[in-house]
Amino acid sequence: MERHQTSVTRTPLNSVVVQRRSKSKSYRQSYRSCLGATSRLGFTPALTAQRLNASRRAPKSHDITKKVNPEHLNLLMKTEWQLSYVTPLYQFRHTQLKSYSRQLSAFIAAEKQQGFAVEVDGSHSFRVSFSVVQGMVETDHDAETILIQIHSSPAFARQDEPQKSVWRGCLTCINGNPDYIHSLLKDFICLPLFGSSGPQGLTSLVKSWFQQTFDCYFGPLEISNTSLQWLVALWTNCHTESNIQHLKMIWTLPAVPPLQVTYSVNPEDAWELWSSVRKAHQEENEGGEKAKDEAIVDIEEVMRFMQCLKSHFYRHFRLDLSAGSLDQVSTALGSAKSNGRIKILNSKYMITTLTLLTECALLKMPI
Amino acid sequence: MGDSLKRLLQRLIRRIPTQMLKLTLEKWGRLTKAQQQSMDFTQPKWVLTERLLGICEENEWTVKHITELEMIYVMDNPNQGMWNAFQLIDPEDDFQSVELMKFKEQFKYHLGELVKHVSVKMKKHTDEAVWIRIAWGDSFSRPNHLKPTYVVHQLQAPYVYVTSLTLKQKPLLSQALILATRYQALKDANLSGRNLTAIRDLLMRQYQQVFPTRYPSPLAEKNETVSNTHIEREQAMFAANRHRMSCEAFGDGTLPQLQSVVYKLETKFRDHTNKTMSEREEPFRCVVKFASTNILESLRHCASSGIVSTPVTPLLSSIPLKGKNYFVITDNGPGPSSQKRQPQS
Repeated sequence: MERHQTSVTRTPLNSVVVQRRSKSKSYRQSYRSCLGATSRLGFTPALTAQRLNASRRAPKSHDITKKVNPEHLNLLMKTEWQLSYVTPLYQFRHTQLKSYSRQLSAFIAAEKQQGFAVEVDGSHSFRVSFSVVQGMVETDHDAETILIQIHSSPAFARQDEPQKSVWRGCLTCINGNPDYIHSLLKDFICLPLFGSSGPQGLTSLVKSWFQQTFDCYFGPLEISNTSLQWLVALWTNCHTESNIQHLKMIWTLPAVPPLQVTYSVNPEDAWELWSSVRKAHQEENEGGEKAKDEAIVDIEEVMRFMQCLKSHFYRHFRLDLSAGSLDQVSTALGSAKSNGRIKILNSKYMITTLTLLTECALLKMPI
Repeated sequence: MGDSLKRLLQRLIRRIPTQMLKLTLEKWGRLTKAQQQSMDFTQPKWVLTERLLGICEENEWTVKHITELEMIYVMDNPNQGMWNAFQLIDPEDDFQSVELMKFKEQFKYHLGELVKHVSVKMKKHTDEAVWIRIAWGDSFSRPNHLKPTYVVHQLQAPYVYVTSLTLKQKPLLSQALILATRYQALKDANLSGRNLTAIRDLLMRQYQQVFPTRYPSPLAEKNETVSNTHIEREQAMFAANRHRMSCEAFGDGTLPQLQSVVYKLETKFRDHTNKTMSEREEPFRCVVKFASTNILESLRHCASSGIVSTPVTPLLSSIPLKGKNYFVITDNGPGPSSQKRQPQS
C-alpha cells in the first residue's frame, strides 16, 4: 500500500505521481521494465513499443459491419472476454484451420479420458471449430483474427437437437506495432491478444494445446489503471456520435473494511467536461511548434479529464480517489475491469478498443 | 394437500439452514412429540423436506400454519432482505399512540377495504415491535404467499420498516398505516440497508451518540512507546488529530451496519483551472455510491488514516447524524436536502 501512503493528506493535484506509478505497473512483467520507467525521451529499442502510446487517434466510427460477417461480429460482441497475452505462434497457418479443429477436438477428448475434469454438466462430446473473422484488420501487418468455438452435445441428445456452444475464444491483433511484427522470424505469426469466455477447464485445455502445438506462452493480461483511463476518455469522446448513456467508474479504496466508490456521470455533462479539456489543451498548444491534429488525443488530456472528475468529487467528499485504484469503467459502448475482463457493446468503436488492448498485450512480450 | 401449499412449505424449508431447522420447528410447536422425535436432523435437507410434507398431510396443516412458521423464521433472522425505513409524520391533534389490539384490528380492516384479496398476519415481537406479514392479491387473484411483504412497526415510535414492497403496493400500505396509527402521512426516511437493527438504531439514536463540542480533546495516549525524534512526534500529532476528528464525526464505538450510501449530486462544477465548465450555468449531474460491508466503519477508517481529509465534510457526517443514506445535493440548500427516493437498482 505504498501508493496510498504517498498520496494521503494531499489534495488530488498530484496526478503526476500517481500516473507514473500506475503506468509502471503495466511493464512489470516485461523484460525491459527497467527501461520503461525512464523518461519519454529515453532510449527506445526498435523491437517493441516500450510504453503505452502517449497519444492516439480519437475513435472514428468504423463501420466494420460492412466488412465483417455479422454472425462473427455478434459472437465477438456482448461476450465478456477474459484477456490473456500470447507470444507469437510458431508455424501457425490460417489455411490449416480445419485440421486444427480436428486436432483440438481430439486433444480435449484425450485429456478427458485421462480424467481431466472438464466441468460442463452432462456434456459428453466436444466439437471444436476454428474460423477466420474476415475483415477484422486495420493494417497489412495485422494477422487475421481467429475465432474458436467449442460446442457440446448433451449425453442423451436427440438427433435433431442443436449442439450447445459452451466455450468461445478469439485471437487477434489490431494495429499491432509494425516494427515489432517485422522483427519476428519468418515462421512466427503475431496474434498477441487472446480472449476467452466459458468454463475455466476448457480455457486451460485450449491454452495447453496451443502451447504444445505452436510453442507459445500464455500469460494473464490485466488492464492497467492508465489503460482504463484511456478507455474512459476514448469512449466519452464518442458521445456525440453514439450516446454513451452513462460514464461509470468504480474505485476501491484501501479502508478497513474495503470501501467501493461508484461514480456515475451524466453522459452530456461528461462530454462537455471532456470537450472543455480538449479545447483548453488545444489552445495551450496553439502557436507551439506543432498545430494539433483534432483527431489525436493526448495522454495529457486524458489525465486532465480524470483530474477534473476527481477534483469535483474531492470538493464534495474531501476524499482523494487517487488513494484507491480504478477497478472498472463502463459506458453503453462497453465495460472493462482491471482484472482483464472486457465486454464490447458497440461494433462501431470496437477497433479503437482492440487497438489499445493489442498494444497492452504487445507490452507484455518478452524479447 | 394443494400444490401451492406444498410449494410454500418446500420453499420455506429450503430457506431455513439445516442447523436452525430443529430450533425453528420447536418454537413453532406444531409437531407432536412423536413426530419431533422421528425427525433425524443429520439427514440431508431433501429427506427432511419429504418427511415434513408427509407430516403436513397427516396434521392437515393449512397456509395459516405455514406462514406462521415463516414468520417465526423471519423474525429470528431479519437481515436477509433490503429494509427501507419510512417515517410517520403529522400526528392528529388528539394523538395518543394506539395500543396493540386496536392497531391490529384497524390495520386489517383498512387494508381489507383497499385491497380485495389480501392476507395479513401479525405477531408481537419481544422488543415491543409488531411484525406484519402481508400477502398481496388483487380483485382477480388470490393472495400470493410466495412473495410476502414484511412490515415492522414499534407503536411508540413514528418509524416503519418495510421489505419487499412494490411501487404499486406502497400507497395501499401507506394509507392503511396512516389510518390505523392516526398520523397524517408516511414519508420516505431515505434510509435502507440489510441490517434491520442497524437501521432502527440509526433512526432511534440507539447507538453511542457523538457530541462534537464535548469530545475529550486531545485523546488520551493509547500508545506510550513513541520515541522522541521530532518527526515521529509530529507524525503522531497529525495522526492523533485525524483520529480525533474522525471520532468527532462518527464516534469511537461500534457503528450500525449500513451497506451503502448514495448521493445524487446536482451542483455546479467549480474548478479554477477549467474556465469553460466553471462558467457553465447548468449543474454537473452525477451519482456517487459508497459501498462496503460496514460503510460507517470504512468512512471512519478513511478519515483516521487520511484518505478522507479532516475535518470530515458534513455530507459524510450527516449519515449518522440525520439517520439517512440517500441524499440529493443541490447548490440551493447549503445542507443535504432530499427528495423522494428513486427506485434503486
